[in-house]
Amino acid sequence: MADLRVNICGAAFKNPVIAASGTFGFGREFDEIYDIGVLGGISTKGLTLEPRLGNPTPRIAEGYGVILNAVGLQNPGVEAFVREDMPFLRKKGTVIIANVAGRTLDDYAAICARLDGLVDLIELNISCPNVKCGGMAFGIRPESVKEVTRAAKSALAATPLIVKLSPNVESIAVNALAAQEGGADCVSLINTLTGMVIDIERRKPLIANNTGGVSGAGIRPIAVRMVFEVCRAVAIPVIGMGGIACAEDAVEFIMAGASAVQVGTANFTDTLAMPKIIQGLNTWMDAHGVKNLEEIRGCLTLNG
Amino acid sequence: MKELHVKVLENVPVAAGVNRLTFSLPEAVEGLRCGRFVNLSVGDGAHLLRRPIAICEHIESSVTVCYQIKGAGTRSLAERKAGDVLTCVLPLGNGFVLKEEERRVALVGGGVGIFPMISVLKEYGGSGKKFFSYMGFRTRSAVCCEEAIRGGSECAALVTDDGSYGEKMNAVEAFFADYESAKPDVILSCGPLPMLRALKAGLAARGIQTPCYVSLEERMGCGVGACLVCVCSLANGEHARVCKDGPVFSIGEVEL
Repeated sequence: MADLRVNICGAAFKNPVIAASGTFGFGREFDEIYDIGVLGGISTKGLTLEPRLGNPTPRIAEGYGVILNAVGLQNPGVEAFVREDMPFLRKKGTVIIANVAGRTLDDYAAICARLDGLVDLIELNISCPNVKCGGMAFGIRPESVKEVTRAAKSALAATPLIVKLSPNVESIAVNALAAQEGGADCVSLINTLTGMVIDIERRKPLIANNTGGVSGAGIRPIAVRMVFEVCRAVAIPVIGMGGIACAEDAVEFIMAGASAVQVGTANFTDTLAMPKIIQGLNTWMDAHGVKNLEEIRGCLTLNG
Repeated sequence: MKELHVKVLENVPVAAGVNRLTFSLPEAVEGLRCGRFVNLSVGDGAHLLRRPIAICEHIESSVTVCYQIKGAGTRSLAERKAGDVLTCVLPLGNGFVLKEEERRVALVGGGVGIFPMISVLKEYGGSGKKFFSYMGFRTRSAVCCEEAIRGGSECAALVTDDGSYGEKMNAVEAFFADYESAKPDVILSCGPLPMLRALKAGLAARGIQTPCYVSLEERMGCGVGACLVCVCSLANGEHARVCKDGPVFSIGEVEL
């Protein structure tokens, strides 16, 4: 049995496999299928100060090897999360990462202050491309990445801060550095790539929001490249994600330098994807004589 | 709810653009019931989303679903052969439940919405309830399952939009034309949104208070209630998840 444990900013993960925000709710539904306590961590559905209804439907579409979504941050609000979902998640014994979003710097600071000390980590969603005001605006330019990171960080005394980076930018490495300068303790990437699918019979975009975030196996090479670039650029830990569907995919991200990985779309294709990835990591590491993740983290050598 | 590997036993056309797929279950599954659905993989690796499809019929060891071949995903699903293995999460959703006192049951189905109606006929056949079925199809070539509909019903009307088979009308028109003689205790319906809207408006216009339950269709992500992709609006302004809170709702509680 390989040692799959990883520590990120003081949070002890039993393995590096984390449910990605937005695909897993607050864990209750998947817990009906398997004990979600086996997971390294769970990044919650994106939370806002007030409840939000999100976008009109359809909210999802497909491309070859990818999906697009535009849910638009539907969530019950941070208070309902603290009241109803935190006690459940705490009992599961997995690392709780609260994914948070806002429309203004004050929103970000307020929601971080509310969750400070309650959750294990906070993940700042500055890149959700679906909400017209907020979201994307903070995540595009390095100056605003730094600004929003600083606003969130200033509201936190106990809980470390992850900044989730958008790939729809000029340089994700530059934005990662901006997050680090703003006080981020960790960065996670990539959020979805903005895309569009057209219903040619109706001559309209298939998703009600017109555009949606592209995710799934088809985007994995882009995500691996970006994680590699960011790992080279920053000194803080990096959590990688983008199209991970099996243990070997996860190993790629770790070799590119990621400390842990998140799994999103694969949960739709296979509800047991994450337990299988955890098991598969064990098997792969044992077969390759790798005793712990440190041995392979960032071990990549580039071709001459 | 279980995640299982299921084996295709049959995947054949039953009407123009509609396939019937029967798969065998590797183990016993509890809770298979009319109006619930399965989330079935397409089985080609390119389509990451499963297809949520209503249960049409189930016996102990197998489940039958019928689906419209509409886009690239269902075209690919139609290529699966007997013996192929797909993955499936089932059973999902709440389904239709008939109360003891609901003896006269009206079924109003349109297009692929007829299949959940057939699941009701199959499940409650022999229960002593009387079924009054109103099934609408686009055209003659889309008509299917006539035997199951007529055989399970006290009275059945199969109609088409273009009049090429049965009367030229839709299922809702057929239902209201027969309402006084059917006098149902409950109405169950599934079909395209315009059809469900017409049903709701028709009930309101006639002041009919009979309980009415509709099964909704929506593009889904996870299918288990986690991702909030397949929501519908409720009359109270909140959202409900079609996959988990539905797909069956009281017609008065949902915005159509």
